[in-house]
Amino acid sequence: MRFSMHYVRLWLASLRYSIVRTMMFRFDFLLWTVVEFAWMAVNLLLIQVIYDHTESVAGWGKYEMLLLVGTSMLMQRLLMGFFWTNLFEIGRNVRTGQFDFYLTQPGQPLFLVSTRKLDPDGLANSLVAIGVIVYALRHLGLPITVGGAALYAALVSIGLVVHYSLLLLLASLTFWIVKTEGIEGSYFTIAEFSRLPRSAFKSLVTTVVFVYALPAVVVSNVPASALLGRLDWLHVAWLAGLALAWLALAVTVFHRGLRRYTSASS
Amino acid sequence: MSLFRKYGHVFAVGLQSALVYRWNFFIRGSFSLVHLCLIFILWGAAFSGVDQMGGFDVRQTLTYFIVVLALQFMVGAFNEDYQIGEEIRNGLINQFLLKPVNYFGYRLSLFASARLVSGLLVFVPLLAASPWFRDQLTFPALEPWRLSAGLAAMVLAAALQFTIAFCFGLLAFWFLEIQGFVILSYAIETCLGGSLFPLDLLPRGVFVVAQYLPFPYQMYFPAAILTGRIATPEEATRGLAIQAAWVVIAMIGARLLWAGGLRKHTAVGG
Repeated sequence: MRFSMHYVRLWLASLRYSIVRTMMFRFDFLLWTVVEFAWMAVNLLLIQVIYDHTESVAGWGKYEMLLLVGTSMLMQRLLMGFFWTNLFEIGRNVRTGQFDFYLTQPGQPLFLVSTRKLDPDGLANSLVAIGVIVYALRHLGLPITVGGAALYAALVSIGLVVHYSLLLLLASLTFWIVKTEGIEGSYFTIAEFSRLPRSAFKSLVTTVVFVYALPAVVVSNVPASALLGRLDWLHVAWLAGLALAWLALAVTVFHRGLRRYTSASS
Repeated sequence: MSLFRKYGHVFAVGLQSALVYRWNFFIRGSFSLVHLCLIFILWGAAFSGVDQMGGFDVRQTLTYFIVVLALQFMVGAFNEDYQIGEEIRNGLINQFLLKPVNYFGYRLSLFASARLVSGLLVFVPLLAASPWFRDQLTFPALEPWRLSAGLAAMVLAAALQFTIAFCFGLLAFWFLEIQGFVILSYAIETCLGGSLFPLDLLPRGVFVVAQYLPFPYQMYFPAAILTGRIATPEEATRGLAIQAAWVVIAMIGARLLWAGGLRKHTAVGG
């Protein structure tokens, strides 16, 4: 018990540090909030334009699609808010040897590496994503219940584990390949698929690659289906298994990589 | 002649350094193909219930996206804004203030050589993937006016892309970090430039207004000429005139920013 309290305190200290930091760079906070908001607006505009010309995409109506895209945005914002900067900086820190800093701290390196900085702009925009989801629910005439919200939150959290694992896995490659600047590009390319409904994948190859091999599609579709009342518990089990498998893989690769780390200072 | 030799030399150096990074281009190109896959799935599903959107069928629309992909590597600015910002921050820019080399001309020569290399290399992944999308390709008859207007639009689009990126890079004279501005402009460009959806699918009124903005001329306009979304020579000529005007405006903007930035700039160290 004491042990876990230690980590809660560490996390709260990081949170405090991040908020103080944001207050120092207010213009930065504002600018990045606007930047993220603009990208979300771009995604919503795409939906608007497509549904101006057609009634349904792979059986999904406009507001159902909005629910899916809102879910995908929410997960991405949460990932940005809690983990992105930290994982993204692993590469740079390993290259410069600043990674030593984490190894000398009293705690699990993976925990320290993952939670040092929080991005309040990502968290602020997750509220916008929730707004989109509520707006879509209203239009669909679906009730918002406590139970439904709790289930949705749980599924989104599991999805977040998958996203986190994927990013950690990519970032951990830095222990082997020093120059890993394309990583964020590859993550975004994969994550984009989470805005597509599962039923849009028609050919065998794309289904196997994007639905089964890479987790992006399942991760957003399961929570969105839960909101729409089409939840299949088999899919929930599949999602949970996926999260466990990816997390185990990512943590293993991270620790393998850690063993290779030889610092870089002179 | 000496002017040509001077920047010709920069161009040659740029070619060499672009070839060093050929793997980067190749990886970028491969990711673009994955993105193209997403576009095919999304728009394929959107077209499943309708025959046409905005007067074009699914093949014409997918062809548009393939052309946009190729154009991004041929005329698009990748990270020129970021590089220019870095050169200002690191003080690398100082040497240009002492030498008889125009910084805009220098960067433009590098841009031209880099796009020549990436514009050719993008055809490697495209050709490799062509068996999957060959059936979707459909082009209008390539009349002489369409070909020449398309080429002119590509050259002007490259000039516009570069000059706008140059302007964003110059913001580093005023701001420590320009990455936020760059990603913000990229969002606007993605959307109003036509790489997210063909702009003619926008509601009529919005589309008419958008045609007077610079963004459609960065990407949509040349792609629309080459894929037949612009149907007549008159439309193309009118577009080219607006496009040329925006290039001039962007260049004036770049000049003003450069002059203003230098007044603010302090070169330190030696």
